[in-house]
Amino acid sequence: MATPEAPRALPEVRLRDLQLTVSPVELVARVVMFERREVTRRSDGSRRPLVSGLLSDGTASVRFTWWDPPREGIERGVVLRAVGAEVREFRGRPEVTFTWRTRVGPASPAELPRVDGEDIPFRSVKDLVAPSEGFRLEVRVVRVAPRPVTVGEERRIVYEGLVADRTGAIALSSWSDFGLASGEAVRLAGAYVRSFRGRAQLVLDDRASVLRIEGTDLPDPAELLRSAPVPIARVEDNGGGEAVAVEGLVVGLLPPSGLVYRCPTCQRSVKNGLCRIHGQVEGQPDLRARIVLDDGTGALTVNAGRPDTERLGGLTLEEARRRLREQPDPSWIEAEILERLLGSRLRVRGSGTRDDFGVTITPESIERVEVDLEATAEELAVRLGEDRR
Amino acid sequence: MTLREPAWRVTARELEGSLEEERGEGERAASYLLSPFGARMNRVLVTGTISPAEPIGRDESQPFWRARLTDPTGAVAVTAGSFQPRAMTQLRSSTAPRPAIVVGKVHLYRGRDGVGYVSVRAEGVRFVSESEERGVLGEIVRQTLDRLDLVERLVAEPTTPDDRLVAEGSPRAWVRAARDSLGRYPSVDRAAFRRELRAAVRRVGGDSGPVAASVAPPATVTVTRSPPPRAPPPPPSPAEREEESVFLDQLDEIAEVSVDGYADLKELLSRVAVRGLVSDRAEAVLNRLEEEGIVEEPIVGKLRRA
Repeated sequence: MATPEAPRALPEVRLRDLQLTVSPVELVARVVMFERREVTRRSDGSRRPLVSGLLSDGTASVRFTWWDPPREGIERGVVLRAVGAEVREFRGRPEVTFTWRTRVGPASPAELPRVDGEDIPFRSVKDLVAPSEGFRLEVRVVRVAPRPVTVGEERRIVYEGLVADRTGAIALSSWSDFGLASGEAVRLAGAYVRSFRGRAQLVLDDRASVLRIEGTDLPDPAELLRSAPVPIARVEDNGGGEAVAVEGLVVGLLPPSGLVYRCPTCQRSVKNGLCRIHGQVEGQPDLRARIVLDDGTGALTVNAGRPDTERLGGLTLEEARRRLREQPDPSWIEAEILERLLGSRLRVRGSGTRDDFGVTITPESIERVEVDLEATAEELAVRLGEDRR
Repeated sequence: MTLREPAWRVTARELEGSLEEERGEGERAASYLLSPFGARMNRVLVTGTISPAEPIGRDESQPFWRARLTDPTGAVAVTAGSFQPRAMTQLRSSTAPRPAIVVGKVHLYRGRDGVGYVSVRAEGVRFVSESEERGVLGEIVRQTLDRLDLVERLVAEPTTPDDRLVAEGSPRAWVRAARDSLGRYPSVDRAAFRRELRAAVRRVGGDSGPVAASVAPPATVTVTRSPPPRAPPPPPSPAEREEESVFLDQLDEIAEVSVDGYADLKELLSRVAVRGLVSDRAEAVLNRLEEEGIVEEPIVGKLRRA
């Protein structure tokens, strides 16, 4: 990493302020992600190693390339100081390159620029797309709860939940304990947005700052969790969402529904006794229903787990397994659940993600909805009466 | 990206009045049936009283069943074949008229004189209680009125940008359907259709008992197209049978020598055209054969004996 004639008195810049005309520069940034690669030299066919990835200092993220990197010492999350990094442009965005002239060494997270300054712009939740950072945010904590996780060898607590403003809601994942509580209004700085399983997620770590605020114009958490259902077409347009509420009729089930077998370690479904990750396993039986819900404006899939499937389908897992001894073909289970559900009106709340086949909801609640026939008839009669001509 | 087609909430009357098709182009493209009242349907959800089903088609190994679904505004044929085994089982199980909810794909069969017959190929059928039927009918009428309001808004203010209508809460697909529908049915009588919906609203309120077998449209109804008859298509005449056999002979000949065992639709159409069966007639024959479950098109543009 050392070089004999290091350039002196370079400007230390924030990634947000990178300019092609100011190069080389000195910078301090965290490695957000990276990969090691090799390129083949055209001249002699020899291979030259490089590391490429994403750097962030809280003001912006930029791609970086590190030629002939050290074998060790590069890790996700590590903070680096680079003196003499070159600024280049790729597809209209600045990038930095570490060459043999660049001195790169470890730095302390404390050397990263402070990001709770007044000059960071405020953003609305609806404008948060992954990856982004270098913003301030005022939100209501709708809910938050600690969850133990294992990161490599280490056991840590992550505080997961949901935060919202008037424009929308986003999942929260905090790796530091800020003592967040449901209902609080907070101003956040130094958070970043990443994509987790196809959903945007707001991440807080130890360099984020949290300030309690009044938050009079932020939504009431109860109001968010009780919000009225919206047309499925709108959920499709929005690509899902963190706190989605829809209502519609069940028009079908998608496979696999009914009796499924799951890997005892990872809960993935098991096909032919094989788990995708853990190989040959003894599958654990489970009931599920992938419900197609349709409200006339659009359709989406609701992944109902065992409790909802048992309640809505009127069939417990135990009963299904008992009856399997007489009716060994398990397809009757799906047929029976469908027979109970087809045409039923359900109201579903949960988080929704969208892929090429449409929106899938992971439900927090599924309720049957009764229609008030008298009120409906009256409402419709009034609408028709107005059109008497 | 192919999103699932939503099930349009429609009354039997709206289906009966729907005669304009939009054929999808390219691989696996969906076809749509356009209604005069702002629906662009591939899949529909209907409710009403279903009569006991009767088998149609001659081939024992390829059963195909048809029933009639009657709601307070009209009636529509509901069919299911061996590709919809569960729906077919449901249709066959019924021995007396019962209220039901049906989800399925719409089909337009155009007869000899251009008269269209709409049927619903059921994907799902569930027999329900009367109150469930009334609840779903209420939703059908509400969405039908929403669509009519949208169509009338476009008549009054044709230059309203789509984005504004969407921002005001209309699904984009509905806005498109409303515009298409106005283009294809420029002079349809929507007021008369609204009056026909009153019977459905009375049914939602529970005022009228079980629906009469068939409700004749009031004399005031004016449709810009020939009104669709309420009877299912008559059995084919000997002349039509003759056409069918020409069609099937050519199909078999092509399929015999083709690599995959299928007859290519384009080649078939050109062959039968030489034998006097030009495109419209050939389409009609093909539709009839498909409807009867004799020929199927498992891959778009590829036919085989069912």
